Amino acid sequence: MDYEKLRNIGISAHIDSGKTTLTERILFYCKKIRAIHEVRGKDGVGATMDSMELEKERGITIASAATNVTWNSHFINIIDTPGHVDFTIEVERSLRVLDGAVLVLCSVGGVQSQSITVDRQLKRYDVPRLAFINKCDRTGADPYKVQNQLKEKLGLNAVLMQVPIGLEEKHEGLVDLITMKALYFDGVQGEVVREGEIPENLRKQAEEKREELLDAVSLFSDEVAEAFLEGDVPAPLIYDAVRKGTIQHQIVPVFMGAAYKNKGVQPLLDAVIRYLPNPGEKKEYALDLDNNEAKVELAMDPKAPLTAIAFKLEEGQYGQLTYVRIYQGTLKKGSDIFNTRLKRKVKVGRLIRMHAESMEDINQAECGDIVALFGIDCASGDTFVNGDINYALTSMYVPDPVISLALTVKDKSVEDNLSKALNRFTKEDPTFKTYVDDESGETIIQGMGELHLDVYIERIRREYRVPVDSGMPQVAYREAITQRTDFDYTHKKQTGGSGQFGRIVGYIEPSDSGEYEFVNEIKGGVIPTEYIPSCDKGFKEAVKKGNLIGFPIVGVRVVIQDGQYHAVDSSDMAFQTTAFLAFRKIYRQSKPQILEPIMKVVVETPSEYQGSIFASINQRRGTIISSVEDGVYSRVEGEVALSEMFGYSTVLRSLTQGKAEFSMEFLKYGKVPKTISEELINEYEKKSKER
Amino acid sequence: MVKSELNKRSPLRIFEKTMHGGLGKGNIGVIASRKGVGKTACLVHIATDKLLRDQSIIHVSFSNRTDHIINWYEDIFREIAKKRNLEKAVEVHDEIIKKRVIMNFSQDGVEIDKVLNSLRAMIQQGNFAAEAIVVDGYDFAKPETGGLSKVKAFAEELGLEIWIAASLKGKEPIFNNKGVPFELEKYLEEIEVLISLQYHGEYVHLKLVKDHETIDLLDMNLKLDPKTLLIAEE
Repeated sequence: MDYEKLRNIGISAHIDSGKTTLTERILFYCKKIRAIHEVRGKDGVGATMDSMELEKERGITIASAATNVTWNSHFINIIDTPGHVDFTIEVERSLRVLDGAVLVLCSVGGVQSQSITVDRQLKRYDVPRLAFINKCDRTGADPYKVQNQLKEKLGLNAVLMQVPIGLEEKHEGLVDLITMKALYFDGVQGEVVREGEIPENLRKQAEEKREELLDAVSLFSDEVAEAFLEGDVPAPLIYDAVRKGTIQHQIVPVFMGAAYKNKGVQPLLDAVIRYLPNPGEKKEYALDLDNNEAKVELAMDPKAPLTAIAFKLEEGQYGQLTYVRIYQGTLKKGSDIFNTRLKRKVKVGRLIRMHAESMEDINQAECGDIVALFGIDCASGDTFVNGDINYALTSMYVPDPVISLALTVKDKSVEDNLSKALNRFTKEDPTFKTYVDDESGETIIQGMGELHLDVYIERIRREYRVPVDSGMPQVAYREAITQRTDFDYTHKKQTGGSGQFGRIVGYIEPSDSGEYEFVNEIKGGVIPTEYIPSCDKGFKEAVKKGNLIGFPIVGVRVVIQDGQYHAVDSSDMAFQTTAFLAFRKIYRQSKPQILEPIMKVVVETPSEYQGSIFASINQRRGTIISSVEDGVYSRVEGEVALSEMFGYSTVLRSLTQGKAEFSMEFLKYGKVPKTISEELINEYEKKSKER
Repeated sequence: MVKSELNKRSPLRIFEKTMHGGLGKGNIGVIASRKGVGKTACLVHIATDKLLRDQSIIHVSFSNRTDHIINWYEDIFREIAKKRNLEKAVEVHDEIIKKRVIMNFSQDGVEIDKVLNSLRAMIQQGNFAAEAIVVDGYDFAKPETGGLSKVKAFAEELGLEIWIAASLKGKEPIFNNKGVPFELEKYLEEIEVLISLQYHGEYVHLKLVKDHETIDLLDMNLKLDPKTLLIAEE
C-alpha cells in the first residue's frame, strides 16, 4: 500500500453531536456496510461502530474500534474515539496513533465543554484537524456562531470552506466556496452528489465568505496571494494552500452538513483525503532502550526494521485482538516479533484488517498502517520490534486514578471470571487499576471517575456474567506533612542471635515538587554507602501509608545528615527498618494534614438554569471560578472536591430537566477542611480498632 | 510584610481618602479613559485590594475569554506580593481566589437586564456574598446597553459597590472643561464617583472628576506605574 494514499483519522466530538451517525454514513458511502442503522435505531441493530452491547444500550461509544474504508482510491483508517471525559485515556491513546482528526460539532450546541477537552487533547498530540458542523437541519442551527466559537473558545483559525443552503428544516445543501458550486445530495440516502449553480440569494454571501477563505489561505501560498490580486484563483492552488495551513496547524477548515439527513458527508471525505496528512508527513520518534533511551527518528520505510505500538486491546469472540500502528518497517504474517516491554518473542499468527464488525485476513502491512493482531498476549502501550532493534515508542501520559470502590461477589464460584475480567480491563485501560486490600481482603478497583468505574462494573456483570456488588465510591485521599521535623532514631535489637543496629539523624520537610525526595548529606562514611539506598527504601515504604487515615503520604523530602552503624549487626534490612520506624515516630510531629482531589468541573447549561447550577456548586463547597454566557448557553466553571461530586449527574439532570451536562477532570490535591478531616480521622481510628 | 500591614500601606488607602472614605455601598464609580491607557489594570487593582481585605467581588466582563482576565489578576497579585514582600503569598493567593468570581457575557449587545439577572442568580442562588462588582468594558455609547439607572437601583437594593470601566471613543476633545467625558455627561446623576485616567507627560494620572457631591478636576496624587500598571503614589 502506498502510504501517501493512506489517512489515519479520528472522529472526535462532544457526546450527542452525532459522531456515530456521521461515522455510519461514512461507512455507508464507502460501501463498507449495506444499510444504515441509527444509533438509537428502532431496528435494534444499532450503529455499526458501536461494537459493545453496553454502548448500544446507552447510545454512546466507549471503546475505540478501528475500521478501514476506501474513498476515491485512498485508504482511510477510522479510529472511533469515545466522547466522554471519564474515558479520556481511551481518547488519548487513540490520538497517539492518529495523523489527523475531524472535530464534530453540533450546529446548535456549538463548542461545549467536551469539545474543549477533546481539542486540547488534539493539540497535545499535535493532530491537525478539520471541523464538521453537524445537525444543520436542527432548530436553532447556526454554523456561523459555531465558527466564531471555534475562534474564540478554542482559539482556532477556523475558516469556512462551505456555506449552507438553508438552515433548520430548510437545509437543502451546501455551497463549496472553492469551486463556487452548489452541492445537493440526491438519491434515497443522499448517495448522489449533484452540482448546481449557487442560488441567487446566496451568491453575495458566498462571494464574501470565499474572499475570507482566500484571505486566510493566501498566507500559505504566494501563488494564491498573487492570483488573488489578479482576481482568479484556480482550485488546485487553493487546495494546496489549505492543506499546508492545516498540516501546520495554522488553519482549521470548517465543513458542515447534517449527517442524519445525509448531507455534507461526501465533501467531508474528499476533504479528509485532500487536507489531512498522510502518515509520512509527521516525524515519529522512538526511544532506544539499548542506548539510554535516546530519541531515534523512525523512517517511513517498509524495509526498515519493524517498530509498532499496540494501542488498543479488545476481547473478541476468538480471543484477544490487538490493534497496532506500524511506524516503521513491515509487519508480516508468520513472522516473529519482539515485545520490548515483556522482552518476549511472539509469532504473528493472524494479521487482520478491521472493518466495522467484520475482519479481513491479510499477509502483511507496512509502515503507516493500522491493523490488528490475533491471539497475542500484551498490554496496551507495548512496543513490537523485529529483534534487530530495541525501541520503545514514547510512553503515553497516564494520570493517577482519583476514585476507588470495593467489589464483592455473592458467589465464590465466579471469582475466576471476575479476575479474568479485571485482568482484561487493566490491560486495555491503563487508568483502570485493581488490587486486593491487605486488611479487608476486598477487591478494589480504581479509576478516573464514577462513570468510568460504572461502565466496568456493568461490563463485569454482562460480558463476564459475574453478579458483583459494589461499595460506595472512595476518594483517593493523600496525606502530607506541613512542617520540618528533625529525627534522631536508633534501632537496636541485639538480644541473642544475629542482631540489628542502625541510627540515623536528619529531618523531613514538605518538598517543593510535591514528590517524594531523598537527600543524602552524610559525610565521612558514618553510615556506609551501601546502606544509604536501604534508608531510602525504608522511608519509601513508610510514606506508602500514613497513619492519619491510611492513605499515601505525598510531598516529603527526607534529608539524612548523620548516623551510626555497627560492624556486625548493621545490615540492609536493619537500616530499612531504622528509616521506616524513624519516619513513623516523627510523622505525627510534622503536623500532617489530609489532602483530597480537587476537580475542575465545567457545567454547560441553558442560561435559565444557571442560578441552580451556581447553587449546586456552592452547596458542594465548591468555588465558582467563572461563568460565561453567550446567548442561550452558559458555561460555569468551578473547582469542587471530588468527594462532593458523587451523584452529581443525577442532581444535574433533575435540576435542569436533563438539559445541562458536565465534565470534570482532576486538577490538583487540596487541603481538606478541618471538620471533614476530623471526621475522616475518627472514622479511620474507629475502623482500626475494630480490626 | 503580612497581609494586614500590606493593606494599611496600600496606595488604595490614599485613593479612598481622596474620595472621602471610598465609593460606598449602593453607589456607582466610573473609571474613564481611552482604550489602552490602563483601565482594566486599575479595575483589577481595586478588586484585588478588596479581595485582600477579605471582601468578595464579582468581575463582569464582555470579552470572550476568561483566562485573560484571570491572568490580569495573577499578574497584579504577583506584582503586589513582590513589591511588598508579602508573607505566605501562596496561601493568601489561594484564599482570595475563593472570593472572586468572573462572569463573562460574550454576546454582543447583551441586555442589561440579563446581566443583572445573572448577577442576582450568583449572589442569591449561588449564595455568593459579593460586596463589590467591577465591570470592565461597559459600553455607554450603545443605547441598548444603557440603563445605568437600573444598575444603580440594583446596587442600592443589594448594597453593592459597583466600579465600571468606561472606554471613551470619538474625536478629541473627549472631556468637557470640567473634565467630564462628553459621553458620560448625561449619566452624571447616577455616577457617584468619576475618575479619569489622563496622560501627563510620562505618566498616567488619576484625576478625580466627580466626588459624591462635588464636580471638579482634582488630582489624586496617584499615578499608574508604567511598568506594572499598578496604582501608585506620585
